[in-house]
Amino acid sequence: MSEPTMRSPLHSFGLEEQAKPIDGSCGVWANEIPHLGYISLRGNGTDPAFVTAASTSLGVSLPLRPCTFASSNGITILWLSPDEWMIVCPRAQLSALLGSLRHALTDVRSQVVDNSGGYTQVIIEGPNALDVLQHVSVYDFAGLEPGRVVGTTFGKSSVYAFRQGEGYRVVIRRSFADYIWRYLVRAAVPYGLGIADLAGSRVTEEGVPA
Amino acid sequence: MFVLFCPHCGEKREEEEFGYGGEAFIPRPATPEALDDEAWGDYLFMRKNPKGWHWEMWSHNTGCRKFFVVKRNTATNAIAGSWTLAEGRKAYDAEGGST
Repeated sequence: MSEPTMRSPLHSFGLEEQAKPIDGSCGVWANEIPHLGYISLRGNGTDPAFVTAASTSLGVSLPLRPCTFASSNGITILWLSPDEWMIVCPRAQLSALLGSLRHALTDVRSQVVDNSGGYTQVIIEGPNALDVLQHVSVYDFAGLEPGRVVGTTFGKSSVYAFRQGEGYRVVIRRSFADYIWRYLVRAAVPYGLGIADLAGSRVTEEGVPA
Repeated sequence: MFVLFCPHCGEKREEEEFGYGGEAFIPRPATPEALDDEAWGDYLFMRKNPKGWHWEMWSHNTGCRKFFVVKRNTATNAIAGSWTLAEGRKAYDAEGGST
């Protein structure tokens, strides 16, 4: 038996081999940020014991305002619903975060689930990034302010999207990753799609702008 | 197509983000075992289907995935408001629990 290996849901597109540094040749630049850690955290957002325990354990205040997110030290917490948050972190920190969260929430009514196999993230940048998002979704991305995260449609499937730096991030389900990537490629045809070399640009492998 | 306000997300969103949840506030019989088949069938299947104002549930499928209550006019698609289930119950009862 060989060792189990991690394979990104977009592995078959060979994005790594096509990646090149971002320049002026394409209107849209996109790539996957693979192998991040995703934790589903559920609990009562109006219960101070839960909010304090989770925030202290994560080192980031749990965003309580609807449709907002908070980032610190490479950890991003997305508000998904009044009782649900998604924690996105570097894979290397995943098990430590899970452990400390579960320990901190032992006596609090809550749920902490490792969802890392179920999601991946795509970064969409470039002068026409907004145009492409307007094509693929019913949400008016022109009105999406920094610091806000929205769950909306992407073609016939759904994503969580937010702005980071000059670009957009979409958190997508593994089972829809193939469909969403193909949809994105088709939508970007009028503008030209470049596969962004993330390692050599603003994004480090942890998915945090350098 | 119309726009709904999600009371959990605090934003107006396109109808495509939502799923229809049917008529709201259908009281479940307290003693189902005491009902005859017709009364139980009424509870399960019979709905108001009004032309006009209708209290109904929607779920924000792509967003917070929570159910909430909308008062919508089925003839014109005018929307009188949307509430969380608890708040909607109060508004519904304040109207006398009908229409």
